[in-house]
This record gives sequence, C-alpha cells and structure tokens, in this order.
Amino acid sequence: MAAKISEASKIGPTSAFFIPQAMQVGVGFISFQQIVTDSPEQDGWISVLINGLATLFVMWTMLSMLENEKKYGQADLFSLQCRLLGKRIGNIMNIVILCYICFYTITYLRGFIEILQVEVFPQLSTFYFSLMFCFIIWYVVMGGIRNIFGTCLLSFIYAVPVFLSLLFIIPHAHFSNLLPIMEHSPRAILSSSFMATHEFLGFEYLMFFYPFIKQTKHAKRWAYFGLLNALYIHLAIIIVTITFFSQGALQATIWPTMTYWKSIHFPLFEHIDIIFCIIMLWNLIPSTSVCSWAMTRGIKSICPKIKMKYSIYGILILIILITSLIQNGEQIKEVHRLLVPVGFIVVYLYIPFLSFIQWLKKRLSGDHT
Amino acid sequence: MRKKHNSTQILIPIFCSLFFLSGCVPTYIFDDIMIIEGIGYDYIGNGKIIGTITTPNFVQGTGSGGSQSTGVPANGPMVRTLSAKTYDGKSLIDKFQAEGQMGLQGGKTRLMIYNKAMAKHGLLRQLSFRNRDPDLPRDMNLAVVEGNCREILTSNDYQAQMSVTQYIQNLIQDNSRQNYPETDLAKFLYAYYGAYMDPFMPLIRKQGDHLELRGLAIFKKDRYVMSIPNKKVFLFKMLFQKFNQGVYDMQYAHGKHIALRNVHTAISYYVRNGNSATPDIYAKVKVIGQVRQATPKAISKRTSQSVAKLFEKSLTYNAKALVHQFQKKGVDPLQLGDQVRSFTYHFDGASWPDRYPNAHFHCQVSVNIQQTGISN
Repeated sequence: MAAKISEASKIGPTSAFFIPQAMQVGVGFISFQQIVTDSPEQDGWISVLINGLATLFVMWTMLSMLENEKKYGQADLFSLQCRLLGKRIGNIMNIVILCYICFYTITYLRGFIEILQVEVFPQLSTFYFSLMFCFIIWYVVMGGIRNIFGTCLLSFIYAVPVFLSLLFIIPHAHFSNLLPIMEHSPRAILSSSFMATHEFLGFEYLMFFYPFIKQTKHAKRWAYFGLLNALYIHLAIIIVTITFFSQGALQATIWPTMTYWKSIHFPLFEHIDIIFCIIMLWNLIPSTSVCSWAMTRGIKSICPKIKMKYSIYGILILIILITSLIQNGEQIKEVHRLLVPVGFIVVYLYIPFLSFIQWLKKRLSGDHT
Repeated sequence: MRKKHNSTQILIPIFCSLFFLSGCVPTYIFDDIMIIEGIGYDYIGNGKIIGTITTPNFVQGTGSGGSQSTGVPANGPMVRTLSAKTYDGKSLIDKFQAEGQMGLQGGKTRLMIYNKAMAKHGLLRQLSFRNRDPDLPRDMNLAVVEGNCREILTSNDYQAQMSVTQYIQNLIQDNSRQNYPETDLAKFLYAYYGAYMDPFMPLIRKQGDHLELRGLAIFKKDRYVMSIPNKKVFLFKMLFQKFNQGVYDMQYAHGKHIALRNVHTAISYYVRNGNSATPDIYAKVKVIGQVRQATPKAISKRTSQSVAKLFEKSLTYNAKALVHQFQKKGVDPLQLGDQVRSFTYHFDGASWPDRYPNAHFHCQVSVNIQQTGISN
C-alpha cells in the first residue's frame, strides 16, 4: 500500500503555508462575524483569537505526530489510523474521516452557491453550477497534487485585493465599539470561540498531503506561519466588522463582509461586492480540489484496488448530488451549524487524542525513543 | 504524457459546451435596461405614498452641447421620471415595471429622498426593506425634503446641467466634506439598528431654481422629530467626528463677525459614573483653524490669542446648548449613549432612555488659530 511517492510529484515546503491558507480563508470569511459576535458582542475578537491560538496547538500535535510516524511508514492520517488503531477500526475511522471531508466540502460549496444566488445570480441553478464547478475540480485533481498546490497559490494571490478592501473601512470605523474590553463572561467568550471553529477548519488537511512535502523540516515553519496569517486575517476582519457595524446592525446582517463591500465606491466601477464575490469563487476551487483529492487518497488507502482516476468520478457525483439536495437557506444554516461540533470533535479532540495514542503506544512497546 | 493528452482532448468539448449553459442565467445589457438613479417618497396619509423614480436616459439628442461632451445626460427632456400612488414599503421598482418600456434595475440607485410627512410617519418599512435588498449600494445618500419630493425630482428649471439625482448627491457629498457630517445609507442604518443612538439625514429644500441644504433632520429611531439649522451643523459635526474644512461664523458683537475655517478638529470623549442616575460625559474638542474673513480690525496676529478665547467660549456654550436641546427631546444623534456604554462595564441599557436627559455634558474646546491671513 505504502507505495513510494516519486520525487517528481512532490511539492515544496511552502505548500504547508498555501494549502491550509486556501482552506481556512474561505466562504466562512464572508459570514462568520455574526455567529461569533452573537453572545460576546464586542468581545467577539477575543473568541477568534483564542480559537486561532488553539489551532497552533493542534498544528503542533499534528506535526509531531506525523514526524514520529515517518519511521513506521507513510505519514498521513489514513495509514496512521490503520497502524495505531488496528486495521479494522482504523479503516472504520478512515471512512468516518472521509465522511467528514465530504461534509466539509459540501458545506463550503453549498454555502458559496447560496451567496452567489443571493448576491449575483438569483436564478442560478445549484445543480448546474455544481456540475460545471465539478468539471473544473476534476481537471485540477487529475493534474495531481502539484496542480492543486498551484491553484492554492493563485487563490492566495488573487485574494490579496479582497483583504486590502478592509482598508477602505478604516476611515468609517468607530473604534469605541470595541470598548469595554472583556465585558462578557468567559463562558460567553469561550462558547463563541467554539462557534468560530468553523472559520479555522481546514488546516487539518496537512495530514493528508504531508508525505508529499519535500524537506518537511522547513515545512514546519511555513505551517505555523500559515496559521498565524489566517489568524491575522480573521482577526482583522472581525475587528473591522465590529467597528464598522453597530451591534444591532451586525445582528441584522447575514453576510457582514458582503454588506461592507457594498459601501466601497469607485468612480469607474460600482458593486465591488460582486467583483469580490467572483474572486472568492477562486478560493473555492483549491479548497474543493484539496478535499476531493484527500478523499481519493482515503479511498485508495482503504481499498487499494480503486485507482484515484476512477474514484474521483464517484466522489464528484456524490458532491453534486448532495449539494443539490440542500435546497434553502434554512437547511444551509443547519448544515453550517452542524459542521461546527463535527469539525471541533475531529480536529480539536480527535487529532490530539490520536497523538496521545501514538505516544502511549510508543511508551508501551518500550521503543528506543 | 499520453494520458494528459487524452484528457485535454476530452476536456475541450466539455468546456466548449459549458458556454451554452451561460444562457441559463438572464443577462442585463446596459442599453436595454433603465437604471434607477433616484427614488422619492411623498406621504399622503393612510399608509399611502406617492413614489417617484428618475432614470437617466442616455439617448443623444436635445441636451446642450456641453453636457454631451462630458457624457453627463442633460436634465429636462433627457431624464425620465415616473410617479404613482402605492402603499408604504413596496418596492417602487416592481411597481413601475408595468410603466417602464425596458427592465428597471435598481443596482445603481444613488439617492433616496423622503418628504417631511413621510419622515414623520416613520421609515420603518422602508429601512427593513432597504437592509434586505442585496442589489442596492450602501453608499447611496438619503435626505429629507422640505416640500415635495416629486416636485424636486421632476422639475425642469434647475440651473445645473446634470441629472437632478447627481445634483442632489453632489450637493450632499461635497458639503459632507465641509460642515456637514457624512451621511449615507450605511451610516443611517448603523445608527438606526444600533442601541443608544439615533440617526440623522441632511435636510434639503428647493429654493427657486436651485436646491439648498437647510440643516440636519434628526430622527428618533425611524421617525423624524426635529431639525437643526444650517448654522449649528458645524457644532454638530465638531461633536460627532474628526473633520476639517468646515467654517464657523462667530458674531462677537452686534454686526461684527469672524469666520473660522478649521484645518483640523478632533473630538475625544470620556465618561464617568456611566451607571449612575446622572452620568458625566466629558467632551474634549481640539480645533486648529485659520481666519480668512473678519470684520475690519477684529483680528491681527497679536490679538489672535484673545480671539481664540472668544471662539472657545462661543463654541463651548453653543455645543452645550445643542446637546441640551437633544436631551430635552430625548434624541441622541451624537451617539453619546454609545460613548457612555463604551466607557462603562455592564452598562445598564434598560434605564438609559430615562437617564439620558439628566446626563451632565461637559465640553472643553481649545481653539488654536494658526494664521490670520496675509494682512494685519
């Protein structure tokens, strides 16, 4: 199973920065502010900060786990689970992880289609859009991990003007909205920190493409740097949102980022929100591709007979079907709400738990450090 | 390599066929739509309104030569307006579709104006509907009109050679770089939805063959309650935001004026006893300005210090009077309540409306006259 990965299909250490980055800064970035500021109001940014720092810890356990795993075989989550939990339970867990990835993809894809339907094309058909979109995904994934890495890099570059758009808001910001700091109970802050999980999910995909990274020693630094950058972007957005909207207006707004893009005005072109919305579409391509690719890897490790070439069809058809089954905004909201605990359990609890098992196993077998 | 080649061969027809799918979504071609620029609402009682829309008409023709060369459509025969009676809260775009020869699109609406009766009736339905509509830009200007919106939007006798909507928008935006506070839909909704604050709009009037700003219309939540006149707007903006290029005219003795043009004004608030029955609000204003017009012999380099003292006194007194006026009416367009909240842990918001009129407003203005012109 653990076939050697040829040097030609490996990617450089900077991929540990760009791929999690493309996964983390996604659709949630347009809508997460309302959820995060629901109970702690102006202290919402503290929740985002806490969650962002927690991702650094998870990343540390992930990286140390993968580094230790290198001795025993392929250092990715699927083979790691098989080794640590036994073949049978390991494969069951692999399937659970596959379901999680599928769920994650569908949530993001459908969430974005909703934004397109609300803001740009009201008549856009979910089915046709996801069909066309999956053709692109198919093309990208068939090109292999290097190709996917390329789209991640491009999406980061294309998104730079989107991040710079925050600067337009600064003259209109009411910084007194951030005061008084730490007014709300730790409980309210932590519970909204839990809700912010949605925003930071995505860096765990490092566990699937880790064996493809050259010079993993350098990759470590990039991985932490990527997380810090995502934390910075989210923190900047939440602070700008809190200062730009009054609390009442923020609670009445579903996509605050979209709404403040509507206030940006240039003499020659209007509706910068629609332009940015299309740029954000670029962000969806790498994140969906990485997910589909990770799923094909998972299927290959569970059942090595199925080649990636063929399993990708099944995966994309599944994504298209489930995406078009989710029909209205209420269902999308439910799905998004469900992703929070599921993602929290998988990333913030299960991965450290797995790391603990690895440590335990190493101790019990009396391994030579 | 061979495999790659195969996949491109499959892909090309697939991607070509995708172009046919683009017909699935309707297109709006610029020449085939009517872009709504301005919307006006006149309240006629009993939940009924007269709505008026204006659209620019880009057909070449009767406009004057000057306006054609700049591409700005001339006023008068080139602007098409529609108005009709409907109920409050209905989208005028849907209402007028039956009367438009082309599809109406509201994506570039620059202006919404309401007459005083409409503003007094309350804009609740209008605002929740504006906040919901994703097509409208957030930087459009709002205004309350003394008189009749329909008359303002459909009049042909303006001096300005541009569409009336652009005219009003330029009027509001250029003034908000000077004495008037910045107002647009986003800022109005900020104060409307926010707690412990009330929104405001500029107040305009048609005066003969031109329009003029009359002051600010102050709302209590969605209802118009009072207005402040043009000459107090400087004070309002001074207490509201950091700005420059405003002009404050002081009459220091009968018939004797000095006009201060500020190059920089900063405001900072400080609040004590935010949860007590009478909170203390301290406003510290710093004005740096220059004097360019004054009654002869009123000011020179030597006396500028003492004139600055006069300005400080006048600004402090009038600012306090303005806030007192707001407190009496129970409206808070200066967002003082929000300032109190931001300085108070566990702010008691429920009793704030009762405590607001009793709050002590302390104002300290320091004026620094940088220069007094080129002659003594």
